Amino acid sequence: MAYKIQPGVIGCAIRPAIAAQDRSLEEIIYDTTQQALDDAGLTIEDIDGIIVGSNDQLDGRAISVMMASGPVGGVDRDILSTPSGSEHAFILGALRVATGQFQTQLVVSWSPTEASSIGEAERLGADPYFHRALPLDELSAHALQATALEQRVPGVREVAASVLAKNRRHGALAYPDPPLHPKPGPARWPLAAGTTTSPVTGCVAMVLATADFIAERGLVDVAWIRGMGWATEPSFLGDRDLSTAPALAAAAQQAYKEAGITDPMMQLDVAEVTDATPYAELLAYEALGLCGREDWAARVGDGTFALGGRLPVNLSGGVQTFNPVFCTGLIRVAEIANQVRGHAGAHQHRNTRNGLAQAGSGFAMQYQAAIVFGREREKRA
Amino acid sequence: MSNDRVGIIGIGQSAFQARRDDASYPDLVREAVVLAMNDAALEFDDIEAVVYSLSPDAMVGIGNAERLGVDAVGARNKRFLRINTGGATGISSVAAAYYHIASGACDVVLTAGADKVGECGDSQTVLNKIWDPTYERQLPLGTINMLGMSAIRYMHAYGLTEEDMALVTVKNRRQAALNPNAHLRRIVTVDDVLASRCIAWPIKLLDSCPQSSGGGAMVLASERFIKERKLEAVWITGLAHCSESYWLGDRMGKNPAADHADAFALGRSFQRAYKMAGITNPYEQVHVAELYAPFSNTEYHAIDAAGFCKPGESIGMLREGQFELGGKLPVNPSGGTLCTNAIAVTAMIRVAEIALQVWGRAGAHQAKGARVGIASGNGGDHQFFGTMVIEA
Repeated sequence: MAYKIQPGVIGCAIRPAIAAQDRSLEEIIYDTTQQALDDAGLTIEDIDGIIVGSNDQLDGRAISVMMASGPVGGVDRDILSTPSGSEHAFILGALRVATGQFQTQLVVSWSPTEASSIGEAERLGADPYFHRALPLDELSAHALQATALEQRVPGVREVAASVLAKNRRHGALAYPDPPLHPKPGPARWPLAAGTTTSPVTGCVAMVLATADFIAERGLVDVAWIRGMGWATEPSFLGDRDLSTAPALAAAAQQAYKEAGITDPMMQLDVAEVTDATPYAELLAYEALGLCGREDWAARVGDGTFALGGRLPVNLSGGVQTFNPVFCTGLIRVAEIANQVRGHAGAHQHRNTRNGLAQAGSGFAMQYQAAIVFGREREKRA
Repeated sequence: MSNDRVGIIGIGQSAFQARRDDASYPDLVREAVVLAMNDAALEFDDIEAVVYSLSPDAMVGIGNAERLGVDAVGARNKRFLRINTGGATGISSVAAAYYHIASGACDVVLTAGADKVGECGDSQTVLNKIWDPTYERQLPLGTINMLGMSAIRYMHAYGLTEEDMALVTVKNRRQAALNPNAHLRRIVTVDDVLASRCIAWPIKLLDSCPQSSGGGAMVLASERFIKERKLEAVWITGLAHCSESYWLGDRMGKNPAADHADAFALGRSFQRAYKMAGITNPYEQVHVAELYAPFSNTEYHAIDAAGFCKPGESIGMLREGQFELGGKLPVNPSGGTLCTNAIAVTAMIRVAEIALQVWGRAGAHQAKGARVGIASGNGGDHQFFGTMVIEA
């Protein structure tokens, strides 16, 4: 553990799919923030600083954090924003707590669906000369990644179908009575219709604190951060091998080193990965050191990553169940924090002591992050 | 002795101009990064993380344009994230880099960015989109008329005149003339300012910042790394952010939450940074300041908020020459935001310039004997405020 102070997660509010007809985005953000504070047993007066993860293109605003500063309680507070990724908001919040200069941090991210075309909003994120005209949106990038994998790994399409079925099965157990039923995503070869999930409005908030604060308040359900890693690939798709995830491998290496994880399959109890497509989940298995591609078919086939298996992945149902595009990464982090805290609800995994969250975002998962949580606080000399 | 401090070990900035037809957006980022890396005398392998400084995407015309900058900052397969707090983004990015190191996660962090504000088409059309689409966007609000309203409030509260505003421009242009990286370096007179075209009364053309193109980059490192490598550094000893309400209406009327004449949250942010740095009397303990002021009138409430005087007293003190280069407490010796504004890095340049000042490396615009300096950045609709104390 590299950090001066070990941060812990003490509150989460995950709203992965919101039927938003009767609430404005500001009200959704306010509701979610209050829910996370309630979960932590705090009020906004206890919060020293706030990190927001939001995206201008999806929000339809320039500097979208501005609108949110009221709903998240930012007035007269120290607030920063990471538009690169929702998971980056968590990382920066954790770093701030780890300095010891802040006792608490609130981290909030959301993803609305009001844009007339989310694909067009995403296309603005492609460089204007080479990629934008393809046209490139996230679904196209996912499809290119699936193509690359199909070229390299014979039979991967069948394995991907099994991963998809697993996550949808998990999702039906986790959310037996969902607030809304997401629609299957459109086809984009080689991704068949329904291989992805259409976007929904979502919001997520988390509260972090120092050990001193946690002890002072007598809080017991804590997910301690044991290690964090994050990294990026270059943006030009031609500079990348989309059938690999080197940035995730780098991020996992950072996180495992900090957490002292040498055998993730044996030392972790549960994981959430950003399964924007089942191909992305398979790539994550490999880059996270859970299972090389030569063993994908066997391990998926024997249920290693399913409920009841050695390392259940995406007990929440993952992105294949709910896809609030921009905040899916932070939701993975919050899901694992809740698993470790014993607060995961219908999909709580028994005896979870250590969990891993992987967040990927950008075109074909350009940005990657891996975060290891533990039930026990680190013992220091 | 403690090894807990965070130091600045490398600085790079473009010579800012109205256009850079010779350089793409990533080229400008790279230009600043190369300068900062050379200044720090480090290799890219030494850089453990990068904080990317970019304010509204729409200014560049590319959503999440930081993705295009990954190679320019050498971040492939490294820790990378982007900060956006509007005009404050640059100082917020330095703060985020600081937290990477102060947390113990990293020893060496690069922060960098660039902007091409003058090449974006119309920055005020972009900036209009920061406001609420239902209530305020149609007025139409822009950052100029927003701060014009602040000038009117300051005139009402403290007796500011248009001539007082012009005096800020005259001072800052004189100082920018000494700074080879400043964009507007032509010396002007009070009469020139008063005769210039009215933009949003009382703000005139020469009361306004330019739209600049250029990049900025800084390398920060842990005290342990700096000592091990025997590097030269200056130190970030205090930092903070504070925010105001999004809604301009909450800063006006009979019972404002914080008066739009003042910079309430900037003051709060400075108080927090001073507390961290152990500064109790800023007027006596601070030697030089780079205060984010894109329009002449806003330099007054920034000086007030920095705690150099009571609100409104800055008008008389500036007339006395206290804030001139060579005066008691030089403000914006680089020429400041009023003479150079590449929004994504403007507030980073405030920090960089103060670092150069306390380092004694500011060249012709060096404030003599400066050892303690402060920097600030303002973002959003005068909403997000970052502050920093830098010491030799």
